[in-house]
Amino acid sequence: MNTEKKLIDNIMQFRNLGVLAILVVLIVMVTIFSPGHNFIRAANIRSLLSLGSEFTIICLGVGLLMIAGEFDLSVGSVLAFCSLIFTWTLELNIHPFWGTLITLACGSLVGMIHGIITVKAKIVSFVTTLGGMMFWRGLALILSGGAMRSAETAEFPVFYSIAVGKVGNFFPAQCIWFLIFAVVLGFILHKHRFGNWIYSTGDNVLAARSMCINTDMVKIMCFIIVSIFCAFTGVIQTTRLVAFSSRVGTGWELRAIAAAVVGGTSLRGGRGSMAGIFLGALIIMIIENAMVLARLPYEWTYMFFGLVIMFSMLLDLFIERLVQRAG
Amino acid sequence: MSVNNGNSETMLKMVGIHKWFGKVHVLQGIDFEVNKAEAVGLVGDNGAGKSTLIKVVSGYHRANRGKIFFEGQEVKINSTKDARALGLETVYQEQALAPHLSIARNIFMGREPSRSMGFIAKKVMNKESMGALTSIGLHLRSPDVPVSTLSGGERQGVAIARAIHFEAKLVILDEPTIALSVKEVHEVLDFVRELKNKGIAVIFITHNLHHIFSIADRIAVIAHGKLLASIQTKETSVDDVSKIIVRGTLGDGD
Amino acid sequence: MQGKRYRYIQWDAHSSPIAFIVAVLIFAIFTPNHLFIDPRNLGSLAKLTPDIGIVALGIGILMICGEFDLSIASVLPFCSYIFTMFFKAGLNPFAGLLLLLPIGAVFGLLNGIIVVGTGLPSFIITLSMMMFWRGLLYGISRMMPISILSYVSKHPGFEKMLTGQLGPIPMQIIWFLGFAVVLGFMLHRNKFGNWIYATGSNPQAARAMGISIGLVKTICYMIIGALCAFASVMQSVRLGSFAATQGIGFELKAIAAVVVGGTSLRGGVGRMLGICLGVFIIQIVENGLILMQVPVFGVETFIGVAVVVFVILNTAVRRRVARESD
Repeated sequence: MNTEKKLIDNIMQFRNLGVLAILVVLIVMVTIFSPGHNFIRAANIRSLLSLGSEFTIICLGVGLLMIAGEFDLSVGSVLAFCSLIFTWTLELNIHPFWGTLITLACGSLVGMIHGIITVKAKIVSFVTTLGGMMFWRGLALILSGGAMRSAETAEFPVFYSIAVGKVGNFFPAQCIWFLIFAVVLGFILHKHRFGNWIYSTGDNVLAARSMCINTDMVKIMCFIIVSIFCAFTGVIQTTRLVAFSSRVGTGWELRAIAAAVVGGTSLRGGRGSMAGIFLGALIIMIIENAMVLARLPYEWTYMFFGLVIMFSMLLDLFIERLVQRAG
Repeated sequence: MSVNNGNSETMLKMVGIHKWFGKVHVLQGIDFEVNKAEAVGLVGDNGAGKSTLIKVVSGYHRANRGKIFFEGQEVKINSTKDARALGLETVYQEQALAPHLSIARNIFMGREPSRSMGFIAKKVMNKESMGALTSIGLHLRSPDVPVSTLSGGERQGVAIARAIHFEAKLVILDEPTIALSVKEVHEVLDFVRELKNKGIAVIFITHNLHHIFSIADRIAVIAHGKLLASIQTKETSVDDVSKIIVRGTLGDGD
Repeated sequence: MQGKRYRYIQWDAHSSPIAFIVAVLIFAIFTPNHLFIDPRNLGSLAKLTPDIGIVALGIGILMICGEFDLSIASVLPFCSYIFTMFFKAGLNPFAGLLLLLPIGAVFGLLNGIIVVGTGLPSFIITLSMMMFWRGLLYGISRMMPISILSYVSKHPGFEKMLTGQLGPIPMQIIWFLGFAVVLGFMLHRNKFGNWIYATGSNPQAARAMGISIGLVKTICYMIIGALCAFASVMQSVRLGSFAATQGIGFELKAIAAVVVGGTSLRGGVGRMLGICLGVFIIQIVENGLILMQVPVFGVETFIGVAVVVFVILNTAVRRRVARESD
């Protein structure tokens, strides 16, 4: 009876351990079952860490926003839009460092727009960001004419290596950035008072408001954080690809939500942890990689992610009912 | 029919409060007062204006007309922040606690004790949470458990402990005993008694007259946005009060 | 000091006829050579619109009872695929269509059960379902279109019923109006319609009145499923084939249509007339913009903005009028 109570008290740690277990099992299975054990080859791991980290950085933001009780379906489109902005700054011969700052500023503006519309006009966030998803991608397409553009940063080797270089000859910089963001966001979420405001806003927005927490500001900040992450990813992805393509980020929104949900983030807000989102993002990343290695047609991934989200949601619901009955 | 308890000073005094929502005249020049260490039960039928009155006191709504005096001074309560700054804490029905957050994080919601740069001082928060709970006689395992694992009575206890800890001078309870088991109701009423022992004034809204009778010093009956009657509990009975409510609601007499 | 009364142009279902007329006028005037009102364009518009229009009727009803369904984008092509398989198996298309309707309803039933059973946000659930069915369909069909012309030509009666003409009016419009009228009666004159409004505007009150809101929602989902099935067949017969890309983008367009027609995202508000006009307005705008040679992506962008703007209009105005005089 005591162990049961301890588990319930630490339900989040319990859930995270579960996700960790799934991740480990997944890695083992994929290693064994990928054709020629391709998964574990250095080239694959390196590419996984560099490409995958770009996606996982965005997951961190999406998960954070979900804990605050809102959704952002526009992440892929904002990524494309910000990639275009960064490419433009390069074409204008602006030093990529400043170009990055400009892009991040644009990203925060986008996030602010999403936040203000959602919070002040009281529109459900999924509709706002569904509209945003169409709008920002459409804007990127119109402004770029749908064509690809080159984005050379070779003249700026320092910038290039900070963005996408290699640390210790193996770890891509993107991976380091992902870890940095995860740790920073983790501290904010779990150890800082703003983190408590995020949780409170997501869990019971009325209680948060009656405790004088400015829930509008909290949500807008989270929207801004997501879009800044999209902008940052846009910068490093464009640097890596040495080009802008208007198709980048398609389908990322659902995968990011899947990552958060697998990591224990509740769709209703107020529950989740940075560690869980971190692990969930890794899981989704590896699943996608595995599907590519197994040469499964891309279409199956849609089906898979739909299933993954549903399954994780039901699992969380089941756990919650268990906790309620025991507590 | 206003009877004032001559012994203690007046904590809160509302004079001629009017509140309109669009065309609906919810509070029609209501007068209301609460004295120090007094527990006033606010009763009346649905739509009488009890909830609105409470929300005006707690700063959730702003009165359209009328004056509010707190501890003898006239005050303007324009927001929940103003109310809290004065020492008015409210325990709302559905809105008190965040179910998945821990007890400590709930108690210190919005007022988290922090060190440099806003990082939470967890040890301080936990210690003071447990202290706040024991001061009203609530003994719980640990401050880290999510409040959804507590019973209904314990949850109300946490909300009340929160109000006390932040040195409320007046605590407003909105239907604190609703949906609670008999045992839990007794727990909550005990907590309310603790509030009174600490010299804190209490207003609570309830539909259950029996609950009121066990701890209220005075009963205020509201009907049609006006104060209908204010009677000392010991001078009346559940039946009498019921009759007044029904009469007031049907409009027989004032 | 009485509460101030705000007078704003009230944007709701009563205003959609005005928007409709405005949209028609704008495009009639501004499209090159007034192409918009060319009878061939109008004719093709009339044939296209009901594909999404019929489904949007169901989406609107569901939104009135307070939920969303994004899965239509995948359920539609999936039903089309099933119908194509029926053809291949030699099944008579009339029978096939009749069989497909309950199958569509089963898709809806699944959505309904999960949404009601878990109490989780319907847009995520139906979004996941959309992804799931899409993936499954892409996998099964290998994304290859399948021509049904040869089958359809053997049943000219069936073809005429769905895509023929009644005088100058295409059958698709007749079907759309038919569904609109039937569903409109259900919504506005029938007890069930009242339950839908009650569930959407105040679920607790509805439950207290003995309405099973779970049942109401599930039935609405099933209606959508059946409508998807019908629309998919109608579309496939017109296109002459099954294509796995049928229905892409419908989920947002349907929401846009419904919202432009004055339906509230929060539930409890909306009218059949508004939904119908909203469908036409969105389709007209899309058609008009394309004729004005706005790039295709521009149209999508516009729809995205339109949804947000119209929702803001709907909610802001309604709130202003009912506002507390704080």
